[in-house]
Amino acid sequence: MPDGSTNITPYLAQALEVSPTFAGAGVDWVDALRNAGAQCYTDHGLPVRRDEYWRYTNLNSLRDERFQLASADPLIGLPPLPHPSVSGLASYRIVLVNGRVQPKLCMLDGMPDGVLITDLGGILVAAPERLEPHLGRVVSLKDMPMAALNTAFLQDGMAVFIDEEIVLDKPVHLISITAPGEGAMMVQPRHLVVMDKGAQATLIETHISAAGGSSFNNIVTELQVAENARLNHFVFQGESETSVHLSGTAVALSAGAYYESFVLQGGAAIGRSEIRAYLNGPGADCRLDGVYLATGNQLVDNTTYIEHAAPECRSHQVYKGVLGGQSRGVFQGKTHVTRGAQQTDGRQLSQALLLSPRAEINVRPELEIYADDVKCSHGATAGELDENAVFYLVSRGITRPDARRMLIEAFLSQAISEISLRPVGEGFSTHIQQWLGSHVDQSPDGDPS
Amino acid sequence: MAMLEIHDLHATVDGKVILNGLNLTIDAGEVHAIMGPNGSGKSTLSYVLTGRHGYEVTGGKIMFDGNDLMQMEPDERAREGVFLAFQYPVEIPGVTSMTFLRTAVNAVREHRGEAPFDPMDFVKHLRKSATDLNISDDMLKRAVNVGFSGGEKKRMEMLQMAALEPRISILDETDSGLDIDALKIVADGVNAMRSSERGILLITHYQRLLEYIEPDHVHVLAQGQIVKSGDKSLALELEEKGYSEFLDNAA
Ligand SMILES: Nc1ncnc2c1ncn2[C@@H]1O[C@H](COP(=O)(O)OP(=O)(O)OP(=O)(O)O)[C@@H](O)[C@H]1O
Ligand SMILES: [Mg+2]
Repeated sequence: MPDGSTNITPYLAQALEVSPTFAGAGVDWVDALRNAGAQCYTDHGLPVRRDEYWRYTNLNSLRDERFQLASADPLIGLPPLPHPSVSGLASYRIVLVNGRVQPKLCMLDGMPDGVLITDLGGILVAAPERLEPHLGRVVSLKDMPMAALNTAFLQDGMAVFIDEEIVLDKPVHLISITAPGEGAMMVQPRHLVVMDKGAQATLIETHISAAGGSSFNNIVTELQVAENARLNHFVFQGESETSVHLSGTAVALSAGAYYESFVLQGGAAIGRSEIRAYLNGPGADCRLDGVYLATGNQLVDNTTYIEHAAPECRSHQVYKGVLGGQSRGVFQGKTHVTRGAQQTDGRQLSQALLLSPRAEINVRPELEIYADDVKCSHGATAGELDENAVFYLVSRGITRPDARRMLIEAFLSQAISEISLRPVGEGFSTHIQQWLGSHVDQSPDGDPS
Repeated sequence: MAMLEIHDLHATVDGKVILNGLNLTIDAGEVHAIMGPNGSGKSTLSYVLTGRHGYEVTGGKIMFDGNDLMQMEPDERAREGVFLAFQYPVEIPGVTSMTFLRTAVNAVREHRGEAPFDPMDFVKHLRKSATDLNISDDMLKRAVNVGFSGGEKKRMEMLQMAALEPRISILDETDSGLDIDALKIVADGVNAMRSSERGILLITHYQRLLEYIEPDHVHVLAQGQIVKSGDKSLALELEEKGYSEFLDNAA
């Protein structure tokens, strides 16, 4: 039997034990940051239902099954990557296996002056002062309990710095592979992107599993987008059905900055993407879009928080998903407009298609507005495929499963079409088609299993 | 053997009896018109023929080219050549008209053992019919029926008919809501389909359509049955007298 304290805060003892051996240990501010994470996590523990953003996503499996931090450097090659149109793109490639950057698998040649794309663990040792003004500055530990745990384990991940006015010539492609071995395995990667004034870059993330064992991937990503900088961010979450994938992203935008995020979630037993965007300077603009696909017993959660803290900012969100089997979707989106944030334009839309009578969606849109001159809206729909539309297609000779797939694809394409980088849009579309091909089956009523 | 033989057809919707012993035979090469009061079961007949879910056949039989139509799924019926131009065509957001047409035509071609069209060839294949029906490239690029005017929707139904080359076409009030020019365009489209191989069933409220498309037979459907049949003069008679005669009989 675990003792009382580990029962409340599983993984804490592990963090306290191993973190003194991590890169950067002994650097005061690094120690302090990890300690703050551990402390915050001690105070809070794993999120539970009464936590505002965890009402619908239950992490009991993390309590029941004790995951062990992955051991360093498993030597695996690169497994086949999904989405040829994406993996074939010329890019700066940085590869993590079980939360650790694998230098041999990275392709970072030809970085222009003023650009640094590297492993966080490396700079924690070589130049921690470069990280100090940024690391842990955007993410709010008290608002993101899982980020507190991640911070207690902070060790490695990707670090990107793009200096003033530099337009990065190729996307950065972060490939993150979880390869669990015998026991239940945990990884706690930490990513940081710092874009200086007027810089422009594209970040693509591909999250996959190389094996089917039980894994828990707790990711934290901090993004700083300075004045007039632009960051396009495309994420694919395709982890195995025996994994728990929790991703927390915090992005801070200065005046005139632009951030585009698109998250395609198709994998994991529990998959969660939480994005907190802080629009701190006038005229900042962010788009948060996503598509999710779930079946069987999967749970897929998209949670967003947008803080309009300055006037004339814009935030647009479109999340669309398809839920089959006994899967469950969660969409929680809160737009908070502070007193001074006049002329805010905040829009949010959540639409879910339920393909089976046992599938379910929990939606919680929220607007919290303290300014008087704003345009804010939110809309949420959930329903089945339109039977009239299905019959119309079928009456033209199209089989019922094909008709259903066409309509689902059409429904999702309205979100996919927002993706600004064509090869990513194509890769994601193909992924959706393949998913529909294997999950909208041939039975007459076409229910996915 | 007639192409379509409907014998003593009974059908219910939501447990309510709508068709009540309907008989109708259509031979290849013939054009039939069905007229009848609102709510008499004309659209119901068209949905029963195309196999729409919820339209339950409780008696009788329908033979199509000697096969039992009721044994076929709706998509099979379509591939075998049953076509319905809907009274209310459905909007399909996110699917372009061109993609929809090509998918449907290729499904039918595959069924007939013909090679599918690739997108480029299909555009060429469709061009003449689209031009004849005054359907612009822009309409074909837009989502199916989304934002189309009533008349545009009806012309799009005719384009689907032309592209699918069905054996039997059921046109449910395709003339309703058309302006005079569009009515002529649609009528020309239907007349172009007339052949010794095909049958056409026109459901209409207006004798006017029958001036452009001359029917071989005209039927009155009232209270779930064909209560009177005749030649095209019957349509003129109905125009004059209305349906009270048939409703009184049943009362
Ligand atoms: N889903 C349904 N539930 C109950 N009754 C229905 C349903 N669908 C049709 N009906 C009824 O069936 C009857 C026949 O309808 P139908 O649409 O076939 O008439 P119609 O002859 O095509 O009329 P119109 O000339 O107005 O188009 C009507 O009384 C209608 O209300
Ligand atoms: Mg009708």
